[in-house]
Amino acid sequence: MTLPEASSAPRLPDVLTDPNTGRRISLLDWQAANRRASWVLGGFMIALLAAIAYLMALAIDPAAAGTFVVIAVALAVAQSLGAYWFADRLALAVSGARPANADEHRYLVNVTEAVAIGAGVPPPKVYVIDSPAPNAFATGRDPRHGAIAVTTGLTQLLDRQELEGVVAHEMAHVKNYDIRFASMLAATIGAIVLLRDVAWRGMVYGGRSRRSSTSRSGGGKGQGLAMVLLVVLLVLAPILATLLKLAVSRQREYLADATGAYITRNPEGLANALAKIRDYAGAPLEVSEGVRHLYFTNPVKRLNVAGAFSSHPPIDDRISRLRRM
Amino acid sequence: MPTTIIVLVVLAVLVLVGINVYNRIVTLENRYQNAWSQIDVQLKRRNDVIPNLVETVKGYAAHEREVFDNVAKARAAMTQAKSVDESAGAANMMTQALGRLFAISEAYPELKANQNFLMLQEELAGIENKIAYARQFFNDAVLQFNTVITTVPGVFFAGPMGKTKHVYLEVPEEEKAVPQVSFGAQA
Repeated sequence: MTLPEASSAPRLPDVLTDPNTGRRISLLDWQAANRRASWVLGGFMIALLAAIAYLMALAIDPAAAGTFVVIAVALAVAQSLGAYWFADRLALAVSGARPANADEHRYLVNVTEAVAIGAGVPPPKVYVIDSPAPNAFATGRDPRHGAIAVTTGLTQLLDRQELEGVVAHEMAHVKNYDIRFASMLAATIGAIVLLRDVAWRGMVYGGRSRRSSTSRSGGGKGQGLAMVLLVVLLVLAPILATLLKLAVSRQREYLADATGAYITRNPEGLANALAKIRDYAGAPLEVSEGVRHLYFTNPVKRLNVAGAFSSHPPIDDRISRLRRM
Repeated sequence: MPTTIIVLVVLAVLVLVGINVYNRIVTLENRYQNAWSQIDVQLKRRNDVIPNLVETVKGYAAHEREVFDNVAKARAAMTQAKSVDESAGAANMMTQALGRLFAISEAYPELKANQNFLMLQEELAGIENKIAYARQFFNDAVLQFNTVITTVPGVFFAGPMGKTKHVYLEVPEEEKAVPQVSFGAQA
């Protein structure tokens, strides 16, 4: 390949508006900030878990505190590893997705392969969900194991550019490692909830037996304080962890929209797709609660709202951000 | 004694930075080559699909000779192209020839109802689309490469490594609109 003098650079819309500060920010910086936030949040979750385990140990048996913490963290790590390996197959199975047929779904497969080339990732496996409700989700721990599932309703409702936008959004989730992060975070929250339930039982039954045997002498002030702290943490930790997870999920929807627009160089396609999905008034997609956050828009329509408890930002907000790019 | 240590540390840092920059340039050069081969693969696939398409269309519109000639010419230019520039030029020619082929097919309802034709049409639309994306990825790779070899510290390595700026692929404006087909009912 012999090449003459370089010509002018094409315009790349890789500078976007940061949703938090309103400042212009490069996509790469945004992605890097996202990764840092993931590490901080992951560390915080483990610390929260360890704190609960430690307080549990203090309340029950101070001598075994170290063992408790080790067991709790090991539990969380085991659950996260399980999520790392199996979350994708589970999500696909729960959603009733079947592998796309190369002939029957040629159009969808072509669109996906094209977008994958644009994104510079290996083409993900394509799955189809038989439902008239337009939606899609992505799963897979890294781009090499990516999978995208699309409802038949989506392929019928959208034109090519709009479908490209949605597929690019899903591919962005895989490329930004959102799926892996979300499933491992969910596993850690699961471990905290499990611990809470164990402690609850321990306090109800264990507490009763101790009162009867060692009435006045046992415990002491330290143990009492640990008990109070533990109860507070046990009540608050799962809620706090869930709120954090949802906040991250919302931020990542914006980032995936921006990345998707960047991959397709066409924010309008994605914005139009969102508008069409917003205006869809047919039967909703039945999705179990555990995997709703994975979808392009929350399958339960009224849950696409602003607020601490929603996994997705309001659709209109996403559209207006795309149209401002 | 401390001077020696300082000199050694500075040297070590310089060597590490050098290795890093060298590897970065090689990585980006590979990405550039890979980006080109992505385009090449799609161009070859398109050339493989075209004879089938031409045969199918001929069955209904044999007298549209000029259109078939243009496609054949573009195909010959594709197979003879050697440089990136020639390939890109021939690819643009082919895209335009195919655009006209699909335009005339609008006038033949029986052709448009042919299942084989519809399949080929979607296949070609898909390939065109992939070429567009591959080209975009190629230009991204060129941008990254050119940025690294023209900024510090990469600029000090580009000369000794014999690296010069790569060229962007220009996308002809009319190409973006061709071929526009709706497949909603098929999916």
